[in-house]
Amino acid sequence: MRKTSFAAKGSATFLLVLFLLGSAAAFTALKVHTDGIPRKMVPGSSVIYLPSGKFLKHATFGYSALAASLIYLWSIQYYSTPTIDDRFDHLDHVFSIIAELDPRYTDPYEVGALIAVHEARDAHAALRILDRGHEKNPDLWIFTFQAGHIAMMNLRDFQLAEKYFKMCMEIPGSPEFVPRLRANAIFRRGDLQTSWETWLDIYRTAPDDRVRRIASNHLYNVKSTVDLGEIRKALTAFRERYGHWPEDLDALVRVGIVAQVPRDLDGEDYIYDPETGDVRTRISPWRR
Amino acid sequence: MKIRAIAGITFKEAKRDRILYLLFFFAAVGIIASRVLAILTVGEQIKIIKDVGLASISVFGVLMAVLIGTGLVYKEIDKKTIFTLLSKPLHRAQFILGKFLGLVLTLFVMTLCMTAIFLTLLYLHTQRFEGAMLVAIGYIFLELVLITAVAILFSTFSTPILSSLFSLAFYLIGHLSWGLELIIQKMRPGAGRTLVRVLYTALPDLENFNFKTEVVHGLPIPSAIYIPSLFYGLFYTAFILGLAILIFRRRDFI
Repeated sequence: MRKTSFAAKGSATFLLVLFLLGSAAAFTALKVHTDGIPRKMVPGSSVIYLPSGKFLKHATFGYSALAASLIYLWSIQYYSTPTIDDRFDHLDHVFSIIAELDPRYTDPYEVGALIAVHEARDAHAALRILDRGHEKNPDLWIFTFQAGHIAMMNLRDFQLAEKYFKMCMEIPGSPEFVPRLRANAIFRRGDLQTSWETWLDIYRTAPDDRVRRIASNHLYNVKSTVDLGEIRKALTAFRERYGHWPEDLDALVRVGIVAQVPRDLDGEDYIYDPETGDVRTRISPWRR
Repeated sequence: MKIRAIAGITFKEAKRDRILYLLFFFAAVGIIASRVLAILTVGEQIKIIKDVGLASISVFGVLMAVLIGTGLVYKEIDKKTIFTLLSKPLHRAQFILGKFLGLVLTLFVMTLCMTAIFLTLLYLHTQRFEGAMLVAIGYIFLELVLITAVAILFSTFSTPILSSLFSLAFYLIGHLSWGLELIIQKMRPGAGRTLVRVLYTALPDLENFNFKTEVVHGLPIPSAIYIPSLFYGLFYTAFILGLAILIFRRRDFI
């Protein structure tokens, strides 16, 4: 009787295990099957539920840094999903939330700016993100440095770039080449006088020969730009007066258009082509 | 017959549980408060009402399943009433199934009540009956059935507090397991990737019961998914109940 009871119990357990295996196999197969069924999604619709970071900070019960990390992780996935057409609409908002939750978390500012510039093609949004990074981390130079680059390369706003590079070089620990980037921005915005003075200052305070040579090349470039501008103006005046290009540059002095023909920083003459009236430097400033 | 009797008693017992009414009260407040939240939004107010309403039904339903389910078996053991029950000609499997069905019935009634409040609120706002919501709510209920089974499974061998934590963890894992798919896509082929894939397949995928986005936005739900999702839920529930019975059968109460 006892033996029969044990046997019955054993077979019931065996049947139960079989049942478990069967049901596990069934739900696994169904899982694989349902994964293959495409479902319509509304990607990005959740963004409207992201409140302002200031309010969210109170709602995280002290886990604001964790919340910032989670939103940052989510944002990486979100912005790398090309099927969400309007994913960049709230870009600034999303990264402002992360900034409010964890102002010292620097990656989101940098990555957010990169996404804004290269993916969203919105350099102004990138600058807003980086400005926020600088505002909350005034001791870190990276944000003004990146902003300067974006202003220079993407917006081609050299005045703005100069402003950012100036801010950057004033932050302790900024790279030694930032003043040179600023000087270049000044040159590209067309302020040749300030550019000359800035490069001259860099030349005089250069810590080594390499920097001195770089500054010298830029000084050569600034001077030749000024000189060639003046020479071209004089050549045009000559042509208007005589109807042809002069035979050489000294002709400009002989007819009294200029007092003397300027020479480049190395004391060499500029090269002049009387056939075309073209004038240029003897050598590229960067190959001296 | 015995299962029905146990289910009936469990239903009566759950009805007397104050926590059930407390959670129902908060669920009702949540659903009604969605109208207030909608005022704060710019644009689609009805979307907020639907989102918050469906979320309230789902979240508070899960809390009911977990908080009541985890105490069901434990209480019988703790109060020693299990001795009286098991001394009768009653299989342990029947006991577990009866408890499960009793709680499922309780949750069905609660879900019906919450749905009634939600649909009434929607009707007052849109002046039309939003029948599509019933699809989402139906699958929410299926999810609750599975969570109930999970709560009972943990209740067979653990304390209510630990069982609640395990069950809520199961719920969270179920809704976040899709993240493993992203990891699989980014992993190199090899043993690690195979392991993550096995884990992804074995872990519950509660997103199979989540049609909230589709019904709120009026998106078409592929008809091919209804039946597999339903059976996925049923087989997973059966598996969990089978496991609960297996564990409960091996338990020694003396």
